[in-house]
Amino acid sequence: MLFSSISFLYYFLPLTLVLYFAVPKAFKNTVLLLASLLFYGWGEPKYVILMALSILLGYGFGLLVEKYREKRAGKAICALSVGISLAFLVYFKYADFFIQNVNAVTGLQLSLLRLALPIGISFYTFQMISYTVDVYKGERAQRNLIHLATYIAMFPQLIAGPIVRYADIAGQLADRKCTWQKSAWGIRRFVIGLAKKILIANQLGELCSAFRASQEKSVLFCWMYAIAFTLQIYFDFSGYSDMAIGLGRVLGFHFQENFNYPYISSSITEFWRRWHISLGTWFRDYVYIPLGGNRKGRGRQLFNILVVWMLTGFWHGAAWNFILWGVLFAVLLTVEKLWLLKRLEESRLLSHIYTLFFVMLSFVIFNGETLGQAFSDIAGLFGGGGIPLVSQEALYCLSSFKIVLFAGIIGATPAARDFVRRISGKAAGNKLLNVLEPVVLTVLMLVMTAYLVDGSFNPFLYFRF
Amino acid sequence: MSEKKKDMALCMIFLLLLVSGFLLCVFLPKEDYSKSERRMLSPMPEWSAQGIWSGRFMSEFESYAVDNFPFRDSFREAKALTALGIFARQDNHGVYVSDGFLSALEYPMNEASLGRAVERFSHVCGKYLTEENKVYLCVIPDKNCFLAKESGHPSMNYEEFERQMAQRADFAEYISVSDLLERDDYYKTDTHWRQEKITDVAERLAQAMGTTLSQDYEIHTLESDFYGVYYGQAALPLAPEKIQYVTGADIDGCTVYDWQNGREIPVYDMDKAVGRDPYEMFLSGSLSLLTINNPNARTDKKLILFRDSFGSSLAPLLISGYEQITLVDIRYIHPDHLDTFLDFEGCDVLFLYSTLILNHSDTIK
Repeated sequence: MLFSSISFLYYFLPLTLVLYFAVPKAFKNTVLLLASLLFYGWGEPKYVILMALSILLGYGFGLLVEKYREKRAGKAICALSVGISLAFLVYFKYADFFIQNVNAVTGLQLSLLRLALPIGISFYTFQMISYTVDVYKGERAQRNLIHLATYIAMFPQLIAGPIVRYADIAGQLADRKCTWQKSAWGIRRFVIGLAKKILIANQLGELCSAFRASQEKSVLFCWMYAIAFTLQIYFDFSGYSDMAIGLGRVLGFHFQENFNYPYISSSITEFWRRWHISLGTWFRDYVYIPLGGNRKGRGRQLFNILVVWMLTGFWHGAAWNFILWGVLFAVLLTVEKLWLLKRLEESRLLSHIYTLFFVMLSFVIFNGETLGQAFSDIAGLFGGGGIPLVSQEALYCLSSFKIVLFAGIIGATPAARDFVRRISGKAAGNKLLNVLEPVVLTVLMLVMTAYLVDGSFNPFLYFRF
Repeated sequence: MSEKKKDMALCMIFLLLLVSGFLLCVFLPKEDYSKSERRMLSPMPEWSAQGIWSGRFMSEFESYAVDNFPFRDSFREAKALTALGIFARQDNHGVYVSDGFLSALEYPMNEASLGRAVERFSHVCGKYLTEENKVYLCVIPDKNCFLAKESGHPSMNYEEFERQMAQRADFAEYISVSDLLERDDYYKTDTHWRQEKITDVAERLAQAMGTTLSQDYEIHTLESDFYGVYYGQAALPLAPEKIQYVTGADIDGCTVYDWQNGREIPVYDMDKAVGRDPYEMFLSGSLSLLTINNPNARTDKKLILFRDSFGSSLAPLLISGYEQITLVDIRYIHPDHLDTFLDFEGCDVLFLYSTLILNHSDTIK
């Protein structure tokens, strides 16, 4: 089920919230778990079983790891648990990729499995690994199966993150408070996230689709596409994270922030501190540091960076363009670490242009259906393929999407947030906001409902991960 | 207002919005058909274990929830106004407004499609016609020809379109009518031309095909409102139009035979005039094969008219110049089956197609 759907907003959510707040505290996790299973099963009824199996295995392994963690067997049990979780992920997500490549290299004709990717498997697998490893590191294993299942399956962050680490949420599973203040904060965040998704990301997605369908490519169109997709993926994913964090807060949870205006970064290093923060910290804590991090010399550190970023790319999808995307960041981060980072401090403007340029190029690679298409799109940015500078269609799209592009560019900076903060800092401004805020949020909800009812373009990019 | 009261108010408003939305979704009476969109709305799917297991139930429920959302038309209108008014989008679902006229973007020219259309026409000629048959071709420009450029929307080169069609279809004599047409000859909310405005087009065609038309026309206006096909797609608050139709001694005396359903039909179907698509009143809309007989004809000329829906309103205007006109829509009947019904001997043949069909000729069999 998508957050940005009528069935979620006007069927699932009101029923779930009413029920959740109506039951006593002791049953809140049960309600949340049942609602989450319905939410997940709505899109993938068959894969509820797979998720349930993962949860049961995680539950059992958690108890075993806790019991034996002081002994040698503890490490082996933890490794087995991580291995099984990864095996599920590899089987469902990467099997066909490996078969295709084996076929290509050996000339064999092994049949593809053509399995449907279980939604959110990349996210909940990482959460499950985080649970077992955290228990191995000393966290108390969860004895209550419903609590653990609620942690893994919780619908706000189940299918697109943020990746919530067990250690961060263990206490809240057993005891959390729902307050008006938390709920209001969560509602604001949810509505803003929904607006980012429906009003900005989806419209930018239309521009990207128009580019892809066009027979009339031009340099201008290629740049518009690259910029539009760079903005779309941010508003799509950060919008979803906003909704997840907001809903979590309504339900009494506190999830980690996942984005912090990444497009204002002045280096790729800074960009990755601001983009998909929960994934970055997960790889840092569960892959980079266990590999030795920067503690084993510069050479080993650079190797670790390469491994982590190849895996980060591969996590996003079973295709070479995702691996290349990861490798590109490994190279850029390495260059920055060795030499560039200090130079970038000399000019904020140039460092910002450099960062945005490479981030944009990386997302063009990311969004290519094949490596060939990605390279062709990049070549198009520089007039490759003999395409003209402008085309009638590009000019029309520029005219039709100029406000959305402008709103996207402004919205990707903290300008709006700072503006609201400045106003609310003054007494008169605060009074005005008190009146305006509910009106604006209500109007936004109605407008977004109108977009959903109209059956507008509504893809969700991170579903494929 | 204290922060707590403000937070409480916000929570209550949000919950009220969701819960009232839910109650309206569940309890408000549902409709089966959307008049504005001219389509059946998705019904509530039936429960079944298999439907749920396969995910079919959920997928159908998503469609049901969207199609049956309370005040759906108002929400669609709000979305269109937001897209065009606030986001300054130049079209909504590919439909744009220019000076009160709605039109769908039609761009770019698909040369392969033009080639395919000509190949299908050529196939008909090669299979059924001899040198005795005179063959004509006429391309009807769609509304974009008169709207798109002025309003800054991408526009095909219509001169080039006609030139290519005339050049490719060298087996037919090309009759150009685009100089006779202008924006006002089309309905504001529909794709089609207005019958009462195209008598000059009929005259040009008749003259080029060597026949004479009666000028004895009378124009009538339907009482019911007409919302064209773009009205529903655009979802904008536009005024309805009135359909006008032309009668005359020849038209009134005609009989029309519908081969597809084996029955006589009227030239102007007044039941359809108040139906889903009132434009279907002209020769009962999309039918594959019709023959109009003119018992008052002053000539023995016969015409076989290969056409799309634009031909439905034009054919009655041509009938005074012919003893018989047969209308063939090879989107609905394969041309290889025509000899079962038609005798091409001594007939003139006119291929009359709009650019909308020629640019998407995969619909032609």
